[in-house]
Amino acid sequence: MATIANTFEIDNTVDIPGRRAPLVTGNQTLGSITNLVCGIAERPQPLIWYICFAIAISFAGMFFSLIAYLLYKGVGIWGNMSPVFWAWPIVNFVFWVGIAHAGTLISAILYLFRQNWRTSINRAAEAMTIFAVVCAGIFPGIHVGRAWLAFWLTPYPSLNLWMWPQFRSPLLWDVFAVGTYASVSLMFWYMGMIPDLATYRDRSKSKFRRLIYGILCLGWSGSSRHWMRYEKAYLILAALATPLVLSVHTVVSFDFAVSQVPGWHTTIFPPYFVAGAIFSGFAMVVTLLVPVRKIYGIQNLITMRHLENMNKIILVTGSLVGLAYATEFFMAWYSYNQFESFAFINRAFGPYWWAYWTMVTCNVISPQLFWFKKLRTSPVLMVIICIFVNVGMWFERFVITVTSLSRDFLPSSWGYFRPTMIDGLMFSGSLGLFLTLFLLFCRFLPIIAMSEVKGVLSIQNHADAHHHGHGSSAH
Amino acid sequence: MSEHAPQTKPNRPPRSCGVIAEYSEEHHLLEAATKVREAGYTKTDAFTPYPVHGIDRALGIKPTILPFIVVCGGLLGLTTALTMEYWMNVVDYPYIISGKPFASWPAFIPVAFELTVLFSAITTFLGSIALNRLPKFSNPVFTSPKFDRATDDRFFLFVDSQDKYYNKKSVEELLHATHPQSIEEVKEDSTPSNIPRPVLICILLVMVAGLIPASLVFKMRNGMDPLPRWHVFFDMDFQPKKKPQQISTIFADGRAMRPQVAGTVARGQLEQADPYYLGYDPSQLSMIETQGVRLVSSAQEPAKAVENRVASPRDGQPPVPAETKSVAEQPPKVEPPKAEPETVAPADPAPTPVVTAAPQAPTPVDAKLQPPAVPAVSAAGATQAPTPGVPNLPFVKKIPMEVDEAAMNLGKQKFEIYCAACHGVGGDGDGLVARRADELAQGYWLAPTSMHSDAVRKQAVGQVFYTITKGKGKMASYGAVLTPKERWAIVLYVRALQRSRNANLDDVPEDQRGSLAKGE
Amino acid sequence: MIEIKNDESLRLPESWRTKPIALIVAGIVAIGLSFVLFRFVSSDNTMKLVSHSYLANFIFCLTFGIGAMFFVLVQFLVRSGWSATVRRQAELISTTIPWMAMLFIPILIMLALGSKELYEWNDTKENLHGLTAEKTGYLNWWFFSARSIAYLGIWSFITTWMHKHSRRQDETGDVGLTIKMQAYSGPMVVFFALSVSFAAFDWIMSLDSDWYSTIFGVYLFAASMVAFFALMILLFLALQKSGKLRDQVNMEHFHDMGKIMFGFNMFWAYSAFSQFLLYWYADIPEETNWFRERYDNGWFFLAYALIIIHFIIPFLGFMSRHVRRNRLGLGFWSAWFLVAHWMDMTFLVMPNTHLPISGLMIVAHLVGLVGMSSIFFAFLIMRASDVPLVAVRDPRLHEALSYSNPIL
Repeated sequence: MATIANTFEIDNTVDIPGRRAPLVTGNQTLGSITNLVCGIAERPQPLIWYICFAIAISFAGMFFSLIAYLLYKGVGIWGNMSPVFWAWPIVNFVFWVGIAHAGTLISAILYLFRQNWRTSINRAAEAMTIFAVVCAGIFPGIHVGRAWLAFWLTPYPSLNLWMWPQFRSPLLWDVFAVGTYASVSLMFWYMGMIPDLATYRDRSKSKFRRLIYGILCLGWSGSSRHWMRYEKAYLILAALATPLVLSVHTVVSFDFAVSQVPGWHTTIFPPYFVAGAIFSGFAMVVTLLVPVRKIYGIQNLITMRHLENMNKIILVTGSLVGLAYATEFFMAWYSYNQFESFAFINRAFGPYWWAYWTMVTCNVISPQLFWFKKLRTSPVLMVIICIFVNVGMWFERFVITVTSLSRDFLPSSWGYFRPTMIDGLMFSGSLGLFLTLFLLFCRFLPIIAMSEVKGVLSIQNHADAHHHGHGSSAH
Repeated sequence: MSEHAPQTKPNRPPRSCGVIAEYSEEHHLLEAATKVREAGYTKTDAFTPYPVHGIDRALGIKPTILPFIVVCGGLLGLTTALTMEYWMNVVDYPYIISGKPFASWPAFIPVAFELTVLFSAITTFLGSIALNRLPKFSNPVFTSPKFDRATDDRFFLFVDSQDKYYNKKSVEELLHATHPQSIEEVKEDSTPSNIPRPVLICILLVMVAGLIPASLVFKMRNGMDPLPRWHVFFDMDFQPKKKPQQISTIFADGRAMRPQVAGTVARGQLEQADPYYLGYDPSQLSMIETQGVRLVSSAQEPAKAVENRVASPRDGQPPVPAETKSVAEQPPKVEPPKAEPETVAPADPAPTPVVTAAPQAPTPVDAKLQPPAVPAVSAAGATQAPTPGVPNLPFVKKIPMEVDEAAMNLGKQKFEIYCAACHGVGGDGDGLVARRADELAQGYWLAPTSMHSDAVRKQAVGQVFYTITKGKGKMASYGAVLTPKERWAIVLYVRALQRSRNANLDDVPEDQRGSLAKGE
Repeated sequence: MIEIKNDESLRLPESWRTKPIALIVAGIVAIGLSFVLFRFVSSDNTMKLVSHSYLANFIFCLTFGIGAMFFVLVQFLVRSGWSATVRRQAELISTTIPWMAMLFIPILIMLALGSKELYEWNDTKENLHGLTAEKTGYLNWWFFSARSIAYLGIWSFITTWMHKHSRRQDETGDVGLTIKMQAYSGPMVVFFALSVSFAAFDWIMSLDSDWYSTIFGVYLFAASMVAFFALMILLFLALQKSGKLRDQVNMEHFHDMGKIMFGFNMFWAYSAFSQFLLYWYADIPEETNWFRERYDNGWFFLAYALIIIHFIIPFLGFMSRHVRRNRLGLGFWSAWFLVAHWMDMTFLVMPNTHLPISGLMIVAHLVGLVGMSSIFFAFLIMRASDVPLVAVRDPRLHEALSYSNPIL
């Protein structure tokens, strides 16, 4: 196994038309894939895992302490102040929901488009989706003021209120969209994991592990009848998740866009938000997977080709986001709507110019570096660029939320938003929570969809046989 | 393999469930499956670490009905969402938000879409698990330790002993010809299937524990407790502030409420004494109240009321600049030379208008503001009778400001901005809001008053002013929104509106009578 | 390397090849006839109706090329294998653009002559009022013409360049050509996105020069994709009926094209709904006015019909994979989508005449469509008549010929 795992020098980013480059390198067999992936959870974790986990969980702990402090003290501990009532909490919410989108895109949309390269990265990306949605859900929950009454958002027959939620409110659409998204992503993720959990079960040495993984995999046996229904169900879930993932960030964009606030009310918002979400999500996947594949030595499963493809998607979506910025600016000028043009000029040259230009630099300019193959196949550089992208995408939400609100229709209430230290600590705390969950996932669950990679390996071997054998009548 | 049952001795030898063959190559499995099927076996199954494409054809597995179930689930979600939204926002809790109709279908679409997807996804997930008869922790094939590799790198083909052509020997012979790694007989899982006692006890304990919060809630919902409720969350119940009549340690006198500092006038205090701001004369009020006379009876006992009012002293009259001005411009012979403001004065002998023709008024309309039919006698009493909610006050009977075209225009403008929405542009009580409310027919809407009803026509100008200032019934108070000047201007305009319904040819200026006759 | 024999089965049927001249003549006659009919609709507004109808039908036919161009670019961009046998058809459709561009000349001439019938902004600043007067710096005939020529020029370049290289590969079989096209498709998509977006703003959105919507380009793009796939499926069905391409294009390709068409139709509905919901909700008069125009004068029939015919019915009817894998179902729904797309283009353009919808108007508009599409088909046939209908030496042909959709 060791010899197999170490031969990851093949450059599979070169693609000769007519012959597909291998997606799994290093002469893998079914068994070696199992060993590679299961080994991650079976072997003791490397030191770096413990270091990261210690840092992450201390940040997560800080996050929860700050939430407790917030519940005790009230939202006044944040910098939210008239006129910027939607400040960091909403920025963080949109940021995290956006991060989540890449997971579903990889697992659902690429599945529908028969992109086999998704199989090595979809599990980790889906896990990231769930964890990002968890972080995203917390922020609006604690932003409602009396967070312990946040359940009022759900339509339940209340004995005290005799009221129902207002379905004409985009904020309620958000509740349903994010709720549905979290549920469907969780089902999709779990569904995909069932066969791999069965592998974990069957390799378990201890009775306890066998019991836990046995229950988690529902007694999966790998029966062909089960596989058939399972694949159908997976396909249907993918077909459902595809419009769903579009709808979620669309609804998030509606929160802004159905209002009349200049800079928010523009029709490109729905597709532009979705593109931005995928953009930031892929950047996060790359940021996480580059170290993960190195630490766990799975470069043969998550190959350079996977990373390069993701970088290409980052380039495409980054350019789409840039196009949307340009369209917005053009339309603000073309419409001769003075509020709209003021909002955009104020963004670029007003008091928040620094945020705007950070956003443009990170979101539009930095992904353009991926036009160069050298840059998009260098692990270190791609991580740096992806971190820039994530910073830029956070700033994008900041620019949208804060600049528009700080210059609303009533000049007497104009103001300059200043975050408090707690704003910053809470955001870094949410990063800590996200990382904690992700590290636990690496520790206990299959981070690569083994059964799917094995399927791809089978197709790959099949194609190789076909190619070498030329006239052979196989298949 | 079994997850949680301790090994115990079975009562009888385990039954044979079938034969299973192990393969290391996908295509061997496919070939074997085809062979087995061709031999007529139908109760067969393959176990593979990943979905082997073509195996369903080789084994003759029928397609699943899952998509159909999912469509049903999706439709259920769609119906649920739309019904829920309609019922909650249109039927059970209709509430006007941002001018949108109750049934705002475009706004209902996002949630309808989400629930359609959610229901479909749940149906897919649960449906596929249920169709696969999972979870199933005990499976005969799990009994073989070799089978652990079915989820790793081996492929298994299983022929069930329930198959009608099943014969162990012949099946094994058939499988031997298909390059298997091994062939085994599958035995029944002989571990006992009953749940172990510790697990049962745990489940029971958890269930009992789960009842505790529920029963607590039940007790609290249905019982009484003399103690105040627990404040888990303070909800601003305890605020660092003083309420009236509380003790303060800051001030020497220990009072949290502070008295007015000597020699100061609080905001609004000056206006408390000025009929221009009030619509009635407060000095009259205090006099009346001290004498203990109820004005409500004034209609029945005019003489007594007259006595009281005529005798009212004029001292303590606050300065009324606007009014003084208007007095100065009034033709002295028309008005009785009384001090202003003019309170309701039953002493007036006949139903004559308080303000009659003002020759120097800019337009003829202005000159005839007060409808002649208003009986000055019972302005207070008669109007109070049908609306017992309004206090009887010595209302001003004459507009205490200059009456000219500018005032009339101001009144028209403000009336149309603030009043017409409910009362209608013509003052008939048929504004857009009223009409919309009629359409909604919610039952609890009180129609706005028509300015042309007798009750309103009989009111003194001061009472109309008072109503605008304080609001009445469902009507909000406009004291904070409109300046006194604007309110008086509205009163003026209302008077003009009322007059317009009761005008005759004489009211029309002479030079325009001709055009009226022509029917223009 | 798999190659397909470049024989007669890959050529247009002989009977098609003789048609172009007749089609062009018929097209010109039909367009002329539609002008006459519009005179009967409203003699005062003939020019207005004629120009609007002409523009709507022109864009209807142009969108096939736009969709095809994007399809070709994306196939190279993602190194797609399944589409190797169907891509040539898209190339041919896309290369109608340079010739279709000629049909835009009458509109440019109209503008140069100062006509205000089509674009109300075509006037001097003094004579215009409101916001439109402020926009004369951008919306004036010469800048508009320059931009239009630029868009058509960009598209003509992209389509002919792609087609030229693909044709060269037919001769040489050079794999390097595929690599070259892959490399160039990236920047070309950038130009495509910008130009399509702005073409939609200029040609259609500026009809109502006060109105604006940033998603408008996306909307037209989604509509183009649906129309293009519908046309391509119908063309393949027709060609196979006359005995061509039977081995190269199979049910798997049809299934895929059907899926993508279905997906893009959902995307069309998504962008249409996004645009409507935002403007409906915010309720700002200058924004809702555009929908008001499409509601008044009886146009609401078309508006509601569009929701039902363009989205709801095909969504339900075309959802099942069994329909997508059935020639009859595919043909029916593709034709349906073409009708819906024509309604959509009519909906975008025609209500801007501010004239009431009437039966005769629709008939005249339909005659104009017959004319315009006859010319379009003539162009298409001329483009396709001496070209193999499959890229015969594409290095990924074997993938296209052997792949299958999962049965499940």
